This record gives sequence, C-alpha cells and structure tokens, in this order.
Amino acid sequence: MILGMDVGVFTAWILTILTAIACVIYGIYYEYLKKDEEEKTPVKKDKKQKKGGK
Amino acid sequence: MDVVFFAIFMAIFAAVFTFLGYLGYKKTKTADDYYVAGRSMGPIVIAFSYGATFISAVALIGFSGIASVFGLSILWLAFLNIFVGILIAFIFYGFRTRKMGLSLKAVTLPEMLGNRFNSTRLQSVSGLIIAIFMIAYASAVFLAIASLFQVTFGVSYQLCVIIFTVVVGLYLVVGGLYAVMWTHAIQGILMLTGMLILTIVIYAMLGGVGPAHEAAADLTPEDLGIPLEMGTVSNPWSFSTGEETIDLISNHNPNASGFAIDFINPPDGRVNISTNQDIVIAFNYQVAPNTKEVPDRFKYICDPDPGGWTEEWNENYTQVTLSHTDFEIGTSYTFEVAAAISGIGSPAGTQAPNGLTSMPPTLSPPFMMILTLIFGVGIGVLAQPQLIVRYLSAKSEKALRRAIPYGGIFILLMTFTAFSIGPLCNVLMINNGLTYPGTPDKVIPLIVSELLPEWFVFLFLFAVLSAAMSTASALFHTAGASIGRDVCEKGLMKGCSEKKSLKITRIATLVIVFATLIIALNPPAVVAILTSFFFGLMACTFLAPYTLMLYWKKTSRMGAWAGMLGGFLFTMGWYVLVYFKTAPQIIGSSLINEYVWNMLDPIFIGIPLSFLLTYIFSKLVLQDKEEKKIVIKAFENI
Repeated sequence: MILGMDVGVFTAWILTILTAIACVIYGIYYEYLKKDEEEKTPVKKDKKQKKGGK
Repeated sequence: MDVVFFAIFMAIFAAVFTFLGYLGYKKTKTADDYYVAGRSMGPIVIAFSYGATFISAVALIGFSGIASVFGLSILWLAFLNIFVGILIAFIFYGFRTRKMGLSLKAVTLPEMLGNRFNSTRLQSVSGLIIAIFMIAYASAVFLAIASLFQVTFGVSYQLCVIIFTVVVGLYLVVGGLYAVMWTHAIQGILMLTGMLILTIVIYAMLGGVGPAHEAAADLTPEDLGIPLEMGTVSNPWSFSTGEETIDLISNHNPNASGFAIDFINPPDGRVNISTNQDIVIAFNYQVAPNTKEVPDRFKYICDPDPGGWTEEWNENYTQVTLSHTDFEIGTSYTFEVAAAISGIGSPAGTQAPNGLTSMPPTLSPPFMMILTLIFGVGIGVLAQPQLIVRYLSAKSEKALRRAIPYGGIFILLMTFTAFSIGPLCNVLMINNGLTYPGTPDKVIPLIVSELLPEWFVFLFLFAVLSAAMSTASALFHTAGASIGRDVCEKGLMKGCSEKKSLKITRIATLVIVFATLIIALNPPAVVAILTSFFFGLMACTFLAPYTLMLYWKKTSRMGAWAGMLGGFLFTMGWYVLVYFKTAPQIIGSSLINEYVWNMLDPIFIGIPLSFLLTYIFSKLVLQDKEEKKIVIKAFENI
C-alpha cells in the first residue's frame, strides 16, 4: 500500500497529478520557451513592409 | 438553512447573470457573436467555460457519491478527464477544429460536418440528434439540482425548476455565447472554491492524505454494509404460544461468519411461550442504524402476523427487541429475518470487495461498472458538441494553448477532489454515527449538511448550483444553435438572412428552454435512464466522422453518414435491448443475459464500429468533385 492505496489506485492517483502538471508544463513551454507561429507571421510582414517603405 | 437567505442570494445570482446577459446582448451584433462569441475568447474564459460545461452538478455530487460506493478506483476517470478531456482534446482536436471551423465558416459541430461534407441534410440530422438528447440531458441536470435544493431549503421542487430554468434561459437567450462564457467564469470560480474548501476540510478532519486513505482502507465490508448471511442459525424459525415467559437464552452461534444472526429468542422449536413474549435477535455486527432510506436495512416476517410491531435496538445496534400485539394463545408462529444490512448500510461493502482504496477484482461487476464510467465519460468527452463550441470561440491558437494549463488545473481541482473525498465520506459517516443516506448522490450533501458549518453549506450549494447552471446553459446554447442554425436555417429555411437566422436561433433556444422546463417538471423515467448515457451516445455518433473529418482528407460524405448513423443506431439499440442498466427498464429484460456482455458499455463496440463504417463507406463511395474542392479549403490552414 502506498499512501493507503493499492498499486492500481495509486497509479491512477499519481497519473492524475502528473497529467495536470504536464498541462502546466505544456503551457509554460508554449508561453515562454517556444515562439508560436502566429507571433512569427506579423514580424515577417513588418520586415517586408519596412523594405517596401510602407 | 434559511429560505430568506436562499432567496436573497438567488436574486443576487440572477441579477449578476442577467447583467452579464445584457453585456453579452450589447456585444452580440452578428451570428458569429451569438454562436461562438465572435471567436474572440481568451484562455482563462475558454478554460473555465470548458471546465464548467464539462463538470456538471452530476459529476460533482453524483460521481463523488459513486466514488463513496466503488472506492478510489474511480480516480482513473479523473486521470482520463485531464489526459483525454484536456490534453488530447485540445492538442489533437481543439487546434484543428478551430482552424477548420474558420476555413469552413462553421459555428457548430453539425455545421462543420455539413460544410465539410457538402450536405445540409447531414447538418440538419446531426443537429436534430444533438437537440433532442440535449433537452433530455439538460432536464436531468435541473432535476438533480432542484431535488437537492428542495431537500436543503424546503423550497418546492417545481418552484426550483422554474427559477433555475428562467434565470439560465434569460441570460442565455439575451446574451448568447458571450453571456454563457462570462457566467461560466464566475460559476467556475465558485465551483473551485467550494470543492477546494470541502476537500481540504475533509482531509484535515481525517488527519491528512495518508491517514485518511489508511482509515478508508481499514474499513471492512461489515463496517460499510453487507447483506445478512442466511442459514447460520435457524432462520426462519418456529415457536408456539402458551403461558410461560422465558428469559433471554444466549445460544451464541459459533459458526457465524461474515454478517450473521448470533442468537434468537425464543429459540427454534420452543413451545408454551407467553403471548406477550418479545422477540429478541442479536447479530454479530452492527445493523445499519435506523434509516428509512435503506429499504432492506432490517426486515422481518411473522406468520401469522399479530401486528403492532415496535423495534428497540441496543446502543451498538447489534441487538433488537421486537414488541408486538399479543400472540394468540395455543398458536404456532413462524418468524423470519428477511433482510438486514450491516455497518452503515452502504453498498460499498459489496461494491468495493477489495476495500475502498483498492481496485476491484478484474472483470467483476464493480470492475465493469467502473470501466463503463471511465470510458463512457473519459473518452466520450472528445465528441461533445457543447465542448467543441469552446474551441471555435477561441480568438487564436495561442489562446487555446494557453487554456490547457488552466483547464488541467481546473479539472484536477474539480474531479480529483470530488472523486478522492467520496470514499472518505464512509469513514466520516462511521466516525460520526451517520448512516448511508440511501442513494450515492445524497452522500456528499449529507456530509456537508451534517458536519460542516452553515456558511459552507450555503457556499457549497451555490457551487453545485453553478455547476448545474453552467452545464445547462451550454447545453441550451448548443441545442438552440442546433435547432435554429442547423435544422431551421440550413435545412428548412435555406438562404435566410443572418439577422433572421439569429432571431430564429433565439426563438429556438427559448423553445428548448421551455421544453426542458416541461420535461423537468414531469420527468418521464426513460429520460433519466437515457441521459445518464449522453456522453457515450454522442461519442459513438460523432467521434468517428468528427475525427476522420479533421485528420483524413479522403473521408467522404457517405462515410460520414454511415459512421454517424451506424454509431447512433448501434448505441441506441444496445441501450434499449442489451445494456443491463437500461434494457430491463425499457423492454423488461436484456436480450443478451450473458455476464460481461450485458455490462459492456456500447462505447467499446460503438466507437470502433463507427470508425470502421466511416472508413469503409469513404472507400466505397468516394468524394465527388465539390467535396474534393471543399477538402482543399478545409485543410488550407492546417
């Protein structure tokens, strides 16, 4: 028994918490570590616009 | 609980939501505004709205009650709720749905199907299926919450149903999806607060996570509730009357195991007992203390019956003395203990055979029940039309990505907490001399009302009300859109203007709210039966065409029709003819009475069948030219 639960139940218990943590890590990764395509596109446009003088 | 407080808070509740409805109305200029909140929602509102729609009052109270009966093994559902319901749903379905919805200019799931497969008929039929079952589902949600408020506040059930339906209908029809999603954010915060406090308090009462789980694990089936073992003493037994009053004879039963009768008085075969001789029965475990809610708690039959029976139990509820109107002299009597339940009278004693913190034996009936729940709800979440609308309302893919952590935490704090505290309620009931309240959905309300302060009872009730309102408003909105947009505008009144379409949808939503009100006021039994399987039905009907539409460019119109109708008809047929919970109530008995098969949720066969049919028919009847053009358009942003 782990924390009063058998292996099958404990696996579900810990997986639930780990999956929620995975959701948070996913959010942090996309928020701070990976630049998203929607952000990149306008930057390219801006450069083109600058070259074109518009 | 003071009914005046209820009225005041309900009025504030209604006022806030109506104000948000008004703000939504001001912001709603186009059909897109009404159906998908102008595709402008940010991550927090999306996450809260998705979570509040997903987690209904049934999930909070019903599932935690189910956890009190089946134990912590139901935590697998909490895992799937986050893993499938958030991670898989958003990453593999959400982003593509939003992009394809934009390309196809679709605002509902039926419209996506209709536009993708170039078939307004497909859109109308799927819209009709969704609307019909959503009305039934929404009425079941109101039924549950109104019953709870009736018990707690003593307000009439009919009045509760009318108040709740009118409040939700008002802000929904006026404010559209803007109002729905904003109210969801507030309702979600209330739900989070209520569940978080409840969980912390319950674990604190039991000494923390480890000790609480250990206390639950230590409960024996006899503590929880198992039926009386028959045949360990003479039961039924006979005696005849005369003039002798006999003292208590303790003929202790050494062979008693499990929950059994320990001794009886007068003993079997005794003759000449006094006409006013009491019947004394002792048990080797406590019998569930007196509660009218558990019908088989303690039943006895005396033949012939002198009548006038009264029960007097000892302090531990292990021995009962039964007094009666005097027996007839010179008559032979047969007495039988027909039923008794030990402990607190909870079905957990038999439904969690390995204990509340252990998995049940593989393929045992409790295992199959849990499996059904886990997959029915856990997988079914992927194809819920009311949740798919949340993806379509996102202002950007980034907003959807950012909604994932909020959604994950929200679902964790709702389901993980609700499912964890359920089994612990048994420990609290035993420690505080409470008895199982008769049905699982009354377990949490019992603990809250008996063991927590009044202010929290109040907060908890409004948290549950929020859960019910948020789910119901999302269902009304989706069902209204299905009838207004998918059935009327695209099916019956092709080519009408956007303004007219919006008007039709508002009227359709009103009709749906009204229909729900009528059903909730006089609910037919079949509504409650079928709506409990709403998630499974939607998954079997829509998951295959929806998934393949997003991922397989060669999915054809005929494939979508075959998958949708095949999954729908199979699931309905299985529920009506085979499934052990529904078939006996609809047709009298299951057509397949073989164990495991009749307990198997249709989702296990319905989803693969629907995928297979979609694939085979897409191969057999290929896309026409128009469909091929649409495919290019649908995938242009993916």
